[in-house]
Amino acid sequence: MLSKLIKHEFKATARLLLPLYLLLAVMTIIDRIVLSLEFKGTLNVITGLVTLAYVLSVIAIVVVSSVFVITRFYKNLMSDEGYLMFTLPVKSHQLINSKLLVSTVWSLASMVGVMLSLLGVFATPERLKNFKDFIFIQMNDGRLIFGDMGFALFLIELCVLILFGFINNILMIYVSIAIGQLFRGHKVLGSFVAYIAINAVIQIFTSLLIVLAGLLFNKTFNEVSSLPHIIFPISILYTIISSVLFYFFTDLIFRKKLNLE
Amino acid sequence: MGAILECKSLTKHYSALAALSNVNLTLERGRIIGLLGPNGSGKTTLIKLINGLLVPTAGTLLIGGKEPGPETKKIVSYLPEKTYLPDWMRVSDTINFFQDFYEDFDQKRAYEMLDRLHLDPSKRLKTLSKGTKEKVQLILVMSRNADLYCLDEPIGGVDPAARDYILNTIISNYNENATVIISTHLIADIERVLDEVVFIKDGIVTLHASVEDIRSREGKSIDTLFREVFRC
Repeated sequence: MLSKLIKHEFKATARLLLPLYLLLAVMTIIDRIVLSLEFKGTLNVITGLVTLAYVLSVIAIVVVSSVFVITRFYKNLMSDEGYLMFTLPVKSHQLINSKLLVSTVWSLASMVGVMLSLLGVFATPERLKNFKDFIFIQMNDGRLIFGDMGFALFLIELCVLILFGFINNILMIYVSIAIGQLFRGHKVLGSFVAYIAINAVIQIFTSLLIVLAGLLFNKTFNEVSSLPHIIFPISILYTIISSVLFYFFTDLIFRKKLNLE
Repeated sequence: MGAILECKSLTKHYSALAALSNVNLTLERGRIIGLLGPNGSGKTTLIKLINGLLVPTAGTLLIGGKEPGPETKKIVSYLPEKTYLPDWMRVSDTINFFQDFYEDFDQKRAYEMLDRLHLDPSKRLKTLSKGTKEKVQLILVMSRNADLYCLDEPIGGVDPAARDYILNTIISNYNENATVIISTHLIADIERVLDEVVFIKDGIVTLHASVEDIRSREGKSIDTLFREVFRC
């Protein structure tokens, strides 16, 4: 059943995002061509306008794919469509899983898409070489600071942190929406308040954690080399714990306190 | 086979408000049952409880011996009073959706009914009127071979001609072991198809009897009885 949910979730979201990706691809090609023509004088206006249109399409991708995470979850589960989704013969956590997976995939796809597009517009052999050199120097620096193993660990942990960060953000939005729907008649407002409140709690908690970590690891804490050994693992652990809590509460509310209007 | 629905001391509170109080109700298989009561009497609350959209405050509710969950949702076909289909979908998309999720869905039957009502499967739902959307929903719900159908105000928004077709659809499309619960306050229109009625008032079931019994005992139609019982 989960695979069917995922299939339909992709169908429902692709109809909006795929055309946007296509637009981005087209804008990438057009901007690349216009830039390569190297217009001079008044014709330069064309370059400016096309590049502006390109930048707007990049922004559209980023904004739409993040806003869509929110609206899709709210509309499909908390509005009248919820009557359809919550009476399917599936468990409520399968609904969350399908939404979470598809949202994560789109978020990552948008990130990769924008990076590829930037390469497509601006990459020249010379720039690519400079970029490669830059990365090479950074890699060397990284190895010097962290050691070979430490640097590999650093990179892996960074990737894990980015991925879990995406998931954590999405789950925090989900739990806020789930809490918001408990407020009959003020669901959207309730969701915003819940989101702000959760954020505040997390800020306070993180500050305390940093102070605590500072005391515990007194000396090593300020050194950059401690990143892969102390700060990243703590951050990853912290992200996992809060994600699990968000997920659990969203599911609990769906199972026990569902309140569709 | 036991009763399809069993409620024991079923109670649902919304904070301070009691939407259902101590409901004891057993519904047998193979019956068409009118769930009748004025607005806000608890009809929709009971139907939402059956479909797992609400959790009881107290008491138990069993469908075919099981508490509401994925297993009972497989055998309950539910028509809410909302237009609940995503409006970007085509009618044919909604049929595929039901086909994917409900093993008991009969795609052929759905297309036949669409054809009878001259509904174009390639139309997007957002282009359809509210009444037409309700027809599509009813067709989807009645195209399942479910054990229990819960129809919440199924005829409220459609014209009288379609109403007749829909009622005929309901009586001709369910098998002899299935039970249909129809919640409505348009009693005169559906009276002829009902086997039993359940009267509900302020969250309390005041009457559960067969239509024949009522007619022979009281000597009046359900509609007349309803108007007397719920006189304002």
